[in-house]
Amino acid sequence: MRTLCVTAVEAALAAGATYADARAVRRRTQQVATKNGRVETLNDAESEGIGVRVLVDGAWGFASDRRLEDAGAAAAARRACAFARAAGGRTARALAPLESRRGAYRTPFEQDPFDVTLSEKVDLCLRAEAALTHENVTLTKASVRALREHKLFVSSEGAEIEHERVECGGGVDAVAVANGLYQARSYPSAFGGSSAQAGWEYVERLGLEREAPRVAEQAAALLLADPCPAGLTTIVIDSEQMALQVHESVGHPTELDRVYGTEAAYAGTSFLEPADLDRLPYGSELMNVTADATTPGGLGTFAFDDEGVPASREPIVESGVLRGFLSSRETAATLGSGRGGSMRAESWNRMPLVRMTNLHLEPAEHGTLEELIADVTDGLYLEQNRSWSIDDKRLNFQFGTQIAWEIRNGRLGRMLRDATYTGVTPIFWGSLDALGGPETWVLYGLTNCGKGQPGQLAHVSHGAPAARFRDVQVGVQA
Amino acid sequence: MTALDVAEAALRHAAGDDAEAIVHAERSGLARFAASSIHQPTLIDDVLVQLTVLRDGRLGVATTNRIDDGSLAELARRARDVADSASPDDDLPLLAPPAELPAVDGFDEETASLDPAEQASLAARAIAATPAASAYGFFTSGEVELAIASTSGLEAVQRFTDATLLVIAAAEDASGYAERTSWRVGEIDPTAVAREAAEKAGRTRGAGELEPGRYAAVLEPYAVSDLLQYFSYDVFSGLALLEERSFFADRLGEKVFDGKISIADDSLDPQGLPKAFDFEGTPKRRVELVESGIARGVVWDRRTAARAGTESTGHALSARDRGLGPLPLALSVSAGDAESVEELAELVGDGIYITRLHYVNVVSPRDGVLTGMTRDGTFRIRDGKIGKPLVNLRFTVAVPELLADVPGLTRARLLVNQSDFYDERYPTAALVPALATAAFHVTGTGSRPGI
Repeated sequence: MRTLCVTAVEAALAAGATYADARAVRRRTQQVATKNGRVETLNDAESEGIGVRVLVDGAWGFASDRRLEDAGAAAAARRACAFARAAGGRTARALAPLESRRGAYRTPFEQDPFDVTLSEKVDLCLRAEAALTHENVTLTKASVRALREHKLFVSSEGAEIEHERVECGGGVDAVAVANGLYQARSYPSAFGGSSAQAGWEYVERLGLEREAPRVAEQAAALLLADPCPAGLTTIVIDSEQMALQVHESVGHPTELDRVYGTEAAYAGTSFLEPADLDRLPYGSELMNVTADATTPGGLGTFAFDDEGVPASREPIVESGVLRGFLSSRETAATLGSGRGGSMRAESWNRMPLVRMTNLHLEPAEHGTLEELIADVTDGLYLEQNRSWSIDDKRLNFQFGTQIAWEIRNGRLGRMLRDATYTGVTPIFWGSLDALGGPETWVLYGLTNCGKGQPGQLAHVSHGAPAARFRDVQVGVQA
Repeated sequence: MTALDVAEAALRHAAGDDAEAIVHAERSGLARFAASSIHQPTLIDDVLVQLTVLRDGRLGVATTNRIDDGSLAELARRARDVADSASPDDDLPLLAPPAELPAVDGFDEETASLDPAEQASLAARAIAATPAASAYGFFTSGEVELAIASTSGLEAVQRFTDATLLVIAAAEDASGYAERTSWRVGEIDPTAVAREAAEKAGRTRGAGELEPGRYAAVLEPYAVSDLLQYFSYDVFSGLALLEERSFFADRLGEKVFDGKISIADDSLDPQGLPKAFDFEGTPKRRVELVESGIARGVVWDRRTAARAGTESTGHALSARDRGLGPLPLALSVSAGDAESVEELAELVGDGIYITRLHYVNVVSPRDGVLTGMTRDGTFRIRDGKIGKPLVNLRFTVAVPELLADVPGLTRARLLVNQSDFYDERYPTAALVPALATAAFHVTGTGSRPGI
């Protein structure tokens, strides 16, 4: 694969590129899902190819070819240059300086998930599903997944980097339906569970079977719960929903390509301006958000990003003030600050984009969920995402959660269904008045972050503690 | 080798088992632009081979994009291993039998032969037509060859093309949207699309706030398509009906919407992006989903149809996505008799005008409740006229309520792209008119128009 990448880069330079990089990727995935005691999905997929990115006369070009052979590599390079030439450069594109490196990265793991047979994976799902059995649960689901990706990156600046990543994850869902109500509970996350860059030990430690009875009981109990009332109130949010809150209202708006408008045609832009750096009050003083491409187990952990920039841990929000953006070499150069380090492509046939790596809301020094709740006279405790939506500049958001409980005088009261909350990003974060400690901080990995045209799904992780916000609008109804 | 040659070669390696091979060959280009400059041009050339093996009531699926003989043999071995890992399921449907496929349009030589320079040139023409604003969007075109062969004797092949131009014309305080999709690139006029976006953008400066509440509204075809796409996932799917997630559960045969609303799924319509068969090789059928406001049906694949005791309508997804169940990917809403969106505004009298939606998501599937934002052209309607611009609005609507009182729909319909081009290219679009509704629930305000 290294030789192919070198061939591609040389072909691109010969065709007139002033800069070129090539990524050769071999990728294998396994998906196993069972539903109501039957195998629903059992897939073993592999894909390979090479993607070549070039700069020709100030214009980017990218082309990909599935053939991991000299002919495919050279053809992709020449087509990328032709496309760049046709696109035409209007202005010179500067890239933040980079000391090109040679390096390698391999996901540390205890047990290779591909050494676990598909039969064992099916058995795990069926056992977890059996533990979801409940007289009022009509639909049970369990799923596990595994990925191995071998990637070579070579650039015309001398970078030569090899990554071998391993991911796996899983989850369970229970659905209860009666009297026109449809209620679901999930563990550890909705929409496919949670994943980590780790071996099979991660899936085993999730304890899908162990958690399943609670999931099923709560799904059934939601059928008898009252709907979430509407009004302004204090809310305590669990770490899983906080992870998505961070993703949508901090991660995406701090992507510098959105700030500069280059994602406008699809995912949108940002309410942030370049001049907001080191000035803008993003939220309360309790708010500290870190982008960390070195987090053990994080789906966004690597040695170098897809431009060859070394991984780092950087502050994004410190004591409530905007301190950093997620950037590429090009956007960092435009900003005149930073060096990039957040460029990631879904696979060999997509161009790298500015993406989140692992973005965390830092916990307080200490504090339990019970302590967060104890200081609430009248409010709600919200748990686990059910729906999400946010505007094109990442200001107005609305989230729904799978379950909620009333808080009365510092204690959890009755269970509530169909809970929603809504807000405007900086106002909402400004109302943050307490965070849980490390004991409430959990790392979640999601695999469905969409962006780009053509679309790409990024795998990113977020760690977040439980958190409390005052005066939040809840209970939005159609 | 053609896609069918590859499928048959894969099948030969699965000899001895019931098996089905699907080959999905894509060659595409997408010239993405921002601030009137092409910044992310992407060319893709790929061939995906998916082999499904059925052994003793166990089903296994393996895929690869290597098509040499040794790799296809390895694919067959992996598919057998996967099948052997499954637990037996006596209710698994057998492979689809051979069937006569409908003759459909959908392939255009001019579109298939566009090279990167021509794709970039079409994007550049759109950019040039928005001199007063910056252009954001893309032009893309692609050719797909889809072939299915199985040991049941089934052989199905279709080549199809698609092209889409999407333009947001924007400035700091203004933005407007337009797009066109067709399987014939000759039907897309880059200048006209860009001018539509620019004209819309020009009217969005000085956007005002709006109090939350229920408003009558006019939705352009872009907004109608967005709304129906998300509504359809949970409502028009046979799996959703079986799992009681669908609003249609216990309502088939009942009047659920305004009598002016008729919705079908029609992959055979040459005005859409025609497809002859689904990912199980079943011929596509037109399915009436709603007729004159009455819930008539949902779409099925072979597995859900077997559970329901009915027949597949040709709406199976690829094996990777089959857990989602069958989906209607060619929605078609019948036209009304309004001559223009201005006539719809007159019917509404007092309300809001919505060009498109953003980040729609399902809040409550069983009730058909969706939330999202308006974007790139939201206006107040006063005295029957489309007037002052509004900021982007948060809405939370029960689609059945929104469709319960529809003062009118336009006679003209627009084919609206519903693909975001994730994964392998499989272009989809909805053919929809603009629509007026008596009830659109605004629940908040958000960003202002512009970049």
